[in-house]
Amino acid sequence: MKRVIAVISVLVSALSASVALAQDTVKIGVITSITGRFAEFGEMHQAGIQAALEDVNAAGGVNGVPVEVVMEDDTSEGNAALAAAERLVNQGIPLVLGAYSSSITNPIAQYFTRQERPFLVFTSSDDAITRPGSAWIYRINQPSYAYAEVLFNVFDEINAQKGAGTLSTIVTIHGNGAFESAVADAVDLLASERGYVVLDRQDYDQSGADFRPILNRFSGLDPDVVFMVSYAADSVALARQIQEVGLDAKVFAGGAAGFALPGFIEGAGPATEYVYTATMWTADVPYPGAVELNDRLTAILGRTPSYHAAQAYAGIITAVDVLERAASDSPADIQAALAATDMPDTVYGPIAFADYQGYQNQAPLPAVAQQVQNGEFVTVYVNGQTLNSMLDTPSWDDR
Amino acid sequence: MDGLTPFLQNLSGGLLIGGIYALIGVGLSLIFGVMRVINFAHGDFVAIGMYTAMVLFRQLGVDPYLALVIALPAGVIVGALVQRVVLARLVDSPGDSTLLATLGLSLVIANTLFLLFGAEPQSIFLPYATTTVTLAGIRLPVTQLIAGGLTLAIIVGLWFLLNRTEMGRAVRATAQNRLGAELVGVNTRSVHALVFGVGMALAMAAGIVLAPLLFAIPTVGSSYTLKAFVVTVLGGLGSIPGAIGGGLLLGVVEFMGASYLSSGYRDAYGLFAFVIILLLRPEGLFGRSAKRV
Repeated sequence: MKRVIAVISVLVSALSASVALAQDTVKIGVITSITGRFAEFGEMHQAGIQAALEDVNAAGGVNGVPVEVVMEDDTSEGNAALAAAERLVNQGIPLVLGAYSSSITNPIAQYFTRQERPFLVFTSSDDAITRPGSAWIYRINQPSYAYAEVLFNVFDEINAQKGAGTLSTIVTIHGNGAFESAVADAVDLLASERGYVVLDRQDYDQSGADFRPILNRFSGLDPDVVFMVSYAADSVALARQIQEVGLDAKVFAGGAAGFALPGFIEGAGPATEYVYTATMWTADVPYPGAVELNDRLTAILGRTPSYHAAQAYAGIITAVDVLERAASDSPADIQAALAATDMPDTVYGPIAFADYQGYQNQAPLPAVAQQVQNGEFVTVYVNGQTLNSMLDTPSWDDR
Repeated sequence: MDGLTPFLQNLSGGLLIGGIYALIGVGLSLIFGVMRVINFAHGDFVAIGMYTAMVLFRQLGVDPYLALVIALPAGVIVGALVQRVVLARLVDSPGDSTLLATLGLSLVIANTLFLLFGAEPQSIFLPYATTTVTLAGIRLPVTQLIAGGLTLAIIVGLWFLLNRTEMGRAVRATAQNRLGAELVGVNTRSVHALVFGVGMALAMAAGIVLAPLLFAIPTVGSSYTLKAFVVTVLGGLGSIPGAIGGGLLLGVVEFMGASYLSSGYRDAYGLFAFVIILLLRPEGLFGRSAKRV
């Protein structure tokens, strides 16, 4: 009798285990800003994650097990993000991705390093995240240096077309957050490397929206280039106020973030015309499936996606690829799989992590430049080549 | 471009924004002068004004400046109600009680706005937002000119109310001596309610004229409460002309400092001027000095 009961117990246990296994999912943690001042970027992330989940689960998930994303809202605050990271670690989720703002991602990256757990960054761009970085932190997206670099490539191209010295002086205005400051630092560095003169550099507090005093100061300097690095609402306010004070320049350049969002054109209207912006991805990039992904993201969002959606998509497909190859769920095995990543044909470009120019575990991808032309973003510069013609910026009196 | 034009551009910008600071400071000064209440929720009334303009513009398509017609009477009524429900019960209690009550009110307002509108910065984009008028080479944004004009009109209206009406006489009497005013038949409870209502309406008006110029976040109030204190103390606590002078001074100091020094310390310049003036004239620029014995 005892033997019969034991056999039945084993059978019941095995059956329930197999049912549990059948219902189980592979979990990937994502920390992003669903609420708070970065919510617009979080919305883009959610669209990219949705598209990626549809694709990876249609393709069989991770070794046949469906993939589930456990999403945590950092409320656009660093402390909430750290609490979210702790929750995900405590749940035993093997790989966590995030977040939007570099000011938020920096402390999370330090937390994962201390915990010796892998963390995959897909949007935050502050150079400091992967330079020097740590053995546990991997980044798909371009670092902040790339944001400035692509726009300097555009300036060089304009100088090549119009004559050397057409653009020679720059003024920079940027928020005082980690990302904005890092891009402004890159502007200083690139300017000195390529022979431009930075006439002035002004930062502002993130709660500020009255840029008129700074713009008046810039007017007196008569710069060739106004380089701006701002988030969503700031970029709109900046564009409007530049028109208000009548600050003229040959080039207005926005270091991605707010300037690359559709809300930039919607919010500031004609004041955005001729503004160049760095972006990390558009439908025009020469990677397979870019146009199709752009269409799908547009359908999900009901409007034009920003590059942040494609970055989230790339983050999930990379995480799935890593989890498929990892020998186990242990942090060391996930780390080893991340290091061995080699995805040459993704929609976001070739993804493989390398150590170069002081960066560690950084995917070396180039950025893209756009210009607002007739109320739309037009890709003008991709992978070292001019794609569409760049329009001259008329003075405000001539518009 | 010569150096004079940016200077004049900054000066005009500072005066125009300073006018709005004055409007905020006048309300705070009026409330303190009559009720002896330090209103920590004053900046949050500015935030309510900004969001009121936003809602009326987005939901009903009402131009923010026309929203003043609705918001000013609504501000008076809501402010009077707040005074009756919260502050009237604390009239003879120690000063700390009203201070804490307004601090609590500030938290309630900021969190209610957060719940209703979220933390994302929001702004109004008017079709004429970037239209400017050029005067002797100085570009004056139409929105700032309208804001300046409305501010002037509201302050003149307030002066008329306080100095040319029976109601104003009752307000001034209550400010000078509440007991004496009661003895001659002034209903000081009603005066307090009216003054708090007018103070709230002035702050809301400032918020409405600011809405097309800046963006709103639910916690923006604390920064305007601080500015209102600086404005009123700069000009002399309880003095309405002082608040106007203090507001204009703060606007110009902030604007000039942000333009000619470093923009990252914009708020600090106002506080620096505040400390200097307090050191040199503790009673404020326009306040009456107490005789020292």
